[in-house]
Amino acid sequence: MRNIIYILFGGIFILSSCQSGSKNIELFNEQAKLPETFKFDTLGLKVMSSYINKKSGTMSTLYANPFALSNALDGDKSHRAGEVLALVTWKQQADGNYFGADVPGDLQSVEIIKSAIAAKNVLVSYKKYTGKNLDSAPDTLQQEKRITYIFNQRPSVMP
Amino acid sequence: MKKIIILTLSFLLICFLFMQFFRPKIVNSPASADFQAPPNVKAIMIRACYDCHSNATSLRWYDQIVPVYWQVAADIKHGRESLNFSDWQKMAPADQKSKLWEIVYQISAGAMPLGSYTEVHQNAKITRDELSTLKAYVNSMAAVALPDDTAKINAADRQYSQWRKEQFLIKQVPIAPNGVRYMPDYKNWQAISTSARFDNGTMRVIFGNNIAAAAVRTHHIQPWPDGTVFAKVAWDEVEDKDGNVKTGAFKQVEFMIKDKEKYAATEGWGYARFKTPKMIPYGKNALFTTECINCHRPQKNEDFVFTQPIKH
Repeated sequence: MRNIIYILFGGIFILSSCQSGSKNIELFNEQAKLPETFKFDTLGLKVMSSYINKKSGTMSTLYANPFALSNALDGDKSHRAGEVLALVTWKQQADGNYFGADVPGDLQSVEIIKSAIAAKNVLVSYKKYTGKNLDSAPDTLQQEKRITYIFNQRPSVMP
Repeated sequence: MKKIIILTLSFLLICFLFMQFFRPKIVNSPASADFQAPPNVKAIMIRACYDCHSNATSLRWYDQIVPVYWQVAADIKHGRESLNFSDWQKMAPADQKSKLWEIVYQISAGAMPLGSYTEVHQNAKITRDELSTLKAYVNSMAAVALPDDTAKINAADRQYSQWRKEQFLIKQVPIAPNGVRYMPDYKNWQAISTSARFDNGTMRVIFGNNIAAAAVRTHHIQPWPDGTVFAKVAWDEVEDKDGNVKTGAFKQVEFMIKDKEKYAATEGWGYARFKTPKMIPYGKNALFTTECINCHRPQKNEDFVFTQPIKH
């Protein structure tokens, strides 16, 4: 009798341990994160729009401070002092959680534009940071082009 | 002692035999609008899914024995309710397409076929090769963007100018059938991530409210704290000939609200979807959330959330 009980309980134990192996959970998207030291969240920016480039396999999000956002909505192409815009670009990767979607992967660059008053003129500064550590990248060749491109973007419709 | 054991066993046997008379009916009605796909794809579905997800259920002898039969009958009832391959063509073509992607997602997430089912029905398991076959099939149906699609560009331009003229001002707060109210402030929240859905040609930004943002900062997202709200905004993709994609017309905003007690029936999350700039609530009645939770359930280990937040 005792043997039967052992076999029964043993069987139940073996069956119950046949659960599928637990998958490795990654809660955060570590590849895409911005370094803490960059303090992006202290810039006080809101999402203005987002982009994908299918040829280079990248995704970007354009952020703006409320002033730049409302100027962009007004369609005002002349720059006013006090605007801040930031374009964050990632390499795209397949979404591990959903087949049918791509999400940001390795952080590629952050471009920041600020406009300020200097000698009664509006001066626009452009800074580019690259790589996962966002090292400062001196870029003088593309500057004008990038400033024009970023300033020309219109906000995504968010009623 | 021996007598007691014999008596107990006989009693259990009688109960077992008596139980066999309680059998919910499983009806196999004719498949009038059966699933259509290439033979290799259909064969996989028939073998792995049709027992619970069609009117062509084939029961093995061991499925017929109560109490196993009760579980089988319940699985079939539930299975046919959420997806019935025999009624496939009754769905609109666009719904058929999104259902296919969902099926492949459920299989690749390991949620389907049910583990309890494949343990007994080993031949219902889907192999890696078969999953690749299914993925290739749905990929062949992915939304293909026309570069410089004037219809999409015009729709986006029209919507943008209406939005700028504040023609989408909402006078009365829209409310989803389950009581979730539209939250206009979502656009001022923090971006948690973005996603590009190549299955249906939309792009999305996922926002989190203050509570969500604080939870990300302090690493407390398993589980997400009560009061967390996510908003996922979707737009059409507008692509130019160089592969640059911008946001086109606004499609919808979806909300997930964490409240362990209030939304206990849907694993602690309340759901809502508001479509078009008029923010028309989605769902005929409060039961629309079954659809939401069915898709989110495989994400149980991530507190039912798909998005892995990006720390900014």
